[in-house]
Parts: sequence; C-alpha cells; structure tokens
Amino acid sequence: MQNDARPARRTLARHDFEEPDMIRPFLRHATLGLATILSAALIAVGCGGDDDDDNGGNGGSGGDDTSQITASDEPATGDIVLCMGKDTSGIHRPTLAKFNAANPDANATLVELPESADEQRTQLVQRLRAESDECDVLALDVIWTAEFAAQDWLADVSQLVDDRKDEFIESTLATGEFEDKYFAVPFNSNAGFVYYRTDQVDEVPETWEALYEEANEYNGLTYQGSRYEGLTVHFLELLYSAGGEVLNDDGSESTADADTTREVLQFMVDGIEDGAVPRATLTYKEEEARRAFEAGTVTFMRNWPYAYSLGQDVPAIKGKFEVAPFPAFGDSDAASVLGGYNLAVSSYSDNEEGAAALINFLTAMEAQVNYGANATPPVLTAAYDDKAVTDALPFAEVLRDSIEQGRSRPVSPVYPQISEAISTNVYSALSGDATVDAAVKKMDEDITKALATF
Amino acid sequence: MTSITPTQATVPPRPKRSGGGSFGRSDRRLAGILLSPALALIALVAAYPIFYAIWLSLNEYSVRVPGLQRFAGADNYREAIGPSFWDAFGNTMLFTGVSVALELVIGLAMAVAMHSAFKGRGLLRATVLVPWATITAVTAITWRSIFEPGLGFAPQVLEKIGIAEDVIWLGENGYAMAVLILADVWKTAPFMALLLLAGLQVIPEDVYEAAKVDGATTWQRFLRITIPLLIPAILVALIFRTLDALRIFDLPKVLTDGSNGTNVLSLLAYQELTDNRLIGLGAALSVLTFVIVMVVSFLYIRFVGGNIKTLAED
Repeated sequence: MQNDARPARRTLARHDFEEPDMIRPFLRHATLGLATILSAALIAVGCGGDDDDDNGGNGGSGGDDTSQITASDEPATGDIVLCMGKDTSGIHRPTLAKFNAANPDANATLVELPESADEQRTQLVQRLRAESDECDVLALDVIWTAEFAAQDWLADVSQLVDDRKDEFIESTLATGEFEDKYFAVPFNSNAGFVYYRTDQVDEVPETWEALYEEANEYNGLTYQGSRYEGLTVHFLELLYSAGGEVLNDDGSESTADADTTREVLQFMVDGIEDGAVPRATLTYKEEEARRAFEAGTVTFMRNWPYAYSLGQDVPAIKGKFEVAPFPAFGDSDAASVLGGYNLAVSSYSDNEEGAAALINFLTAMEAQVNYGANATPPVLTAAYDDKAVTDALPFAEVLRDSIEQGRSRPVSPVYPQISEAISTNVYSALSGDATVDAAVKKMDEDITKALATF
Repeated sequence: MTSITPTQATVPPRPKRSGGGSFGRSDRRLAGILLSPALALIALVAAYPIFYAIWLSLNEYSVRVPGLQRFAGADNYREAIGPSFWDAFGNTMLFTGVSVALELVIGLAMAVAMHSAFKGRGLLRATVLVPWATITAVTAITWRSIFEPGLGFAPQVLEKIGIAEDVIWLGENGYAMAVLILADVWKTAPFMALLLLAGLQVIPEDVYEAAKVDGATTWQRFLRITIPLLIPAILVALIFRTLDALRIFDLPKVLTDGSNGTNVLSLLAYQELTDNRLIGLGAALSVLTFVIVMVVSFLYIRFVGGNIKTLAED
C-alpha cells in the first residue's frame, strides 16, 4: 500500500523543480507566492540594505547638481551601456550597431530589462540604490523622471535638451523636467486614440458628452477601467480636457477637491450606469479592451496606437475601424496624456560623454525616422512627415496631433502614490462602492497624504 | 576520558544502546560543533532578514531626499493599522476560512475515491494532481480568461443556463472573492487529497473487516473508523493549508491585483514596499503579516500537537 503513495510524491517533487523553467515571466510571482512572509522580509532587506551607504556616498558623480552633461563634437569613446525594456521589436540592437559604426572607438551595448514597465522600474531601482555603474543610459517610462531625479540618480541633461529644443514635439519635453531642469530626453512617445467602427458611425463626435450619447445608441465605448495606472491615465485625459488638475503648479498641494473633478467623475459614473460604457470595462486593461473591440462587442474604444496594426489582422473588424484624437470635454480643449519613454544618464555612469553622444544619436532624425518606420512613435515633429513613417503608421498625422495635445501626468517624486490615490478612488466611484462626492474627497485626502510623505 | 572510563567500567554488558538518551559532556560539545554550521545558516537566511525587517519597520526612509532616514518608533505601525489593513485582514481571513474548509471537504472526497480499489485508479490519481502541479500564476491567468466578461467560458455557459447573467465576475465585490476561492480550491484540493490519502493508507484493513463482521454499514465505518483515525492527517493538512492561505499572494495579484474586495495582507505589503517604495511602512505590514501567521501557527501547534499526542495515546 505504501508503494502506491510513492510515485505520486515523486511526480510532485519533479514538477516543483520544473516550475522556474516553464514560464519565466511569472517566476517572480510564483516565487513570491511560495514564501511570501520570508520574501517580504527579504524584499525589505533588498530595498533598504544600502541606506547607510547612501548617507556617506552622496557625493557621487551626479550628486553635485552643478555638473551638467554636455555633448562634445568629438566621436564618442569607451563602453556605453543602454539599459531598457526588452527589445521586442528587435530594432534597438541594429541601431546601436549603427552608432558603433559611426563611433569606432566606442562600444555601445544593450542590457535588456523585463518587458513589463513595473518590473523594469524594480530592476532599475535596485541597481541605482546599489549605486551600480552598470548602466550609463537609462530608458525611463515618462512617469519615473521626478521619482528618480529626486533621489539624485539622474544627471542633469538640460544642456542636451536646450541645444535642440525646437526639434522635439513640445509636449514631450515636459515629461523629462523636474524642478526646472531636464533630467531626461524624450525618446519615444505615445498617446491614446479613440478607435471607432466605420461601419457603424461616420466619425468621432466633437465632445466626450456626444461620444457617450452615440456610444449609448450603438454598442458602447470601452476603456482601461481596471484599478491600475491605465485608469489614472484615462481619468486624467477627461479631467485635463475639462480644465481640471490634481496638483497645483509647483506640485505642492492637491487641487483634486474641485467641482471639475466631481463633474468628470460623475460623467464617468453615469456612463457606466446608463450603459454607454459596458460594466465589463471595470475589469479591462489594454489587452482585454482590445479583445472586446476585436470581438466586435463595442463601437468605440480608448486605447494606445499599438492596437491599430493588430486590429488589421482580425477579419471581423479589418478595414471597418479608424482612429481619431480625443474629443473635447464640453467647451474646453481636447487633451491627451502622454506615455512613452525618455532617455536619462545615470548619476553613477563612468562615461557621461559617451552617454550624451548615444542619447543624441538615438534622438536624432535618422534614428527617430527608423523607429517610426518600425511603428514606435517618434518624438521629433518632423519625423512624422517622413514617408517611411507615414507608411508604417497610417495614422501618423492623428498621432502627432494627439501627442501635441498631450499633457504629462503629475510630476512628483511620490507619483506612484498619487496615481494609486486617483485610480483607487475613481474605481470605487465607478464600481458603486463610494459616491462621487466621497470618492473625490478621499482622492484629495489621499493625494495630500502622499504629498506629505517623508 | 577519565570521566568516561569509569562509566564504561560500571556498565560493561551494554556499552552502546541507541535511544538511551544520555550523552556525555564531550558528546554534547561535538553535537554543538556539528550543528553550528546549520544554525549559522538558519540565522543568516531566516533570523537576520526577520530582525532586519523589524528594524526597517521602526524607521522611515525618505522618498524625496536622497539618503535621508529617521527613527520612527511605532509610527509605521500606527499608520499601517488603518482601514486598508483591516480590509486586507478581513479578506485574508475570509479567504483562508472558506477556501481551507472547502478544500478539506473536497480533498477528503477525492482521497476516499483515490483510496478505493477500482479499474483506472492510477489514472485518476495522476489526473487529480494536474491542477496542483500547475504554476499558480498560470492558474490565475487561466481563471481570469475563463471569467473574462462576454468572451470567457464561464459567463457564456452561465448565460445559456440563465444563472448570474449580468455578473462581471472579477469586477464586483463578493464575486471576485468567489472566483479567487474557486481558483484556490481547484488548485490545492488535490494537495489536501494527497495528504489525506497518505493518512488513509496507514489505517489497517482488519479494523474495517472487524467492523464489517459486526454489521457496520459503509457510512458507519466511514464515520466511526475512517474519520477518527484520519484526524491526525487532517490536522497536519489543515496546518499546511491554513498557513499557505494566510500568505496568499500570486492568485489575487494576477486575478484582480487586489481590487473588488480581494486585497490581502501580502499584497498590501508588496504594494507599499515595491510600488510606493515606502520601506518602513511596507516592512511594518510584512512584520504584522508575519506576526499573524506566527500566532495562527502557534495556536495550531499548541492545539493540534496536543491532540495528536492524545490520539496517539488512545
């Protein structure tokens, strides 16, 4: 009888050991799940292990805020390491090869971080806290600039930006700015669209109000309504368009407790309640929204440009949809919220000149057109006129308009908490857990608390 | 040497008997030396992180000014024990209670089925273990797709039958917790079954035969023989599952990321620690979770340990 139990036990043990190799992206979750308590303690150790060093080692190369990175006319030299998310499009390595060919004494290489932005942030934070000089150039999500700059992890690149200010789409520059200095140079941008079914409606109405009405007549509008960063983005799109703000000009106080905030949130809640926005939206991130649109269950969708070319491969909607920039809210101007990545120089880089040269190369017209031709939205105004770009991005004109009307998300070292304050409270109003008034008050309270963080 | 020689001399017929229980002083010292690497390792990988986490939880680390930190005493704990903590605490307890209870009942049924002799038993045993062998994050993604509104398998079937037609499963309080529990039960009931099966296999067959001779029905045999003799195995299985469930992380992380009444303690600590980089507050939440798990396991071991001893004596 006991023999019967043994093979079963052996099977289990083997599967246990196979786990890490089977599904790599989920490794971290799985590991955390196995020993959450211990690992939570270990995370704490990993995150905080170097605080004593921070006190002593503050005078690192970028710590003195007087030193600005400047570009030189000489060819770059030495090793330059670019740390960025996974090169899924395969475009970045060839670009670096071109840089190396143009600068024979330099050797630029790529360190690929995980695909998900959250994981990239975790890995970069770990390296920077440890004052690692591994990365010279960092590809940063536009919302990380303030957080990283406040920790003295980034070198001042104002000079690089000022030299070429006119070339960039103006709105994208603000995402690299913190306390009146530039700590990052725009690399690629992104802005949301309204996707609409051309076989159901002729065009996207001029206001969100009219769009919701039309959505109600047809099959509805969907967006990223799950409780996460995506909901923060969409709420801000509406709020900015309505003329609202969540922070005052210098980012020191919350301005969320305002009539505009209530009006916008009430509008979103009404949309869910009267069916203009299907309730399922509350569980959607980008991919779920895209699947719903591709399944033909909705007429309108708010999503990023990436869904365009994927949609062209789906027979059910192929040739039956188009994209348009966001409408306005009431009488105010339309607004979008910028996504994308910036390039920054690590404070701990031992090759700042090389890093500056690489950033200039990657943000120059030739590289930017090449990115555009590979469906990565450029940050230079003129790149959108290039035929290679318009061929790859048929909606290039719409995209440039969207990016130009784009705004940054609140610039603050405590942005993660501010974003959580927004998404959590917008979500509780949308799901009916809280009234609009209570949710707005709580949002204001949470943002105020976040701003008071030590 | 001098102290050993007379002892050996006085008891020459039984020089070495294993399990005698008495060691000489030098034996004890040797044991200490042999154990010290293991103890040092445990201190390094278990004790140090725990005490370091406690130290972190007593400090605040600035997210605005590089390198700035200050001693905060109990401030982090005061801030941690707020509405979101109690919310997560309640969710964790609800999840643990319901999922472990369901797993026990279903696991027991599975164990009894796997134990009985019939054709294809080996196949059944292998099949039952598949959910348990699946990686939790994959399980979570699968269940999320199954419950995807409109497109998922579950809403479509339920709509055909006419039950819960307009429910957005992962988007509503209560329902989201139900999916979370369902996914966990699906995954870990086989583990419970495996532990209970081991318990069933040590119950001697002749006890059943004696009961049969006395005219006991199947049901009576199950209630009067199987269950009482299985209690030690059940208790061990309960300890395992309860402690596992209390620190659940991966399922809610992937299924809902803590929205709609599924935020649990480990997830809350993770959010403060990793997303918000509030090291002191996150560490305080970790320590609180640790204490809760400690208390529960202590109670279990006190209560269950005693029970197993009395059962063994009976």
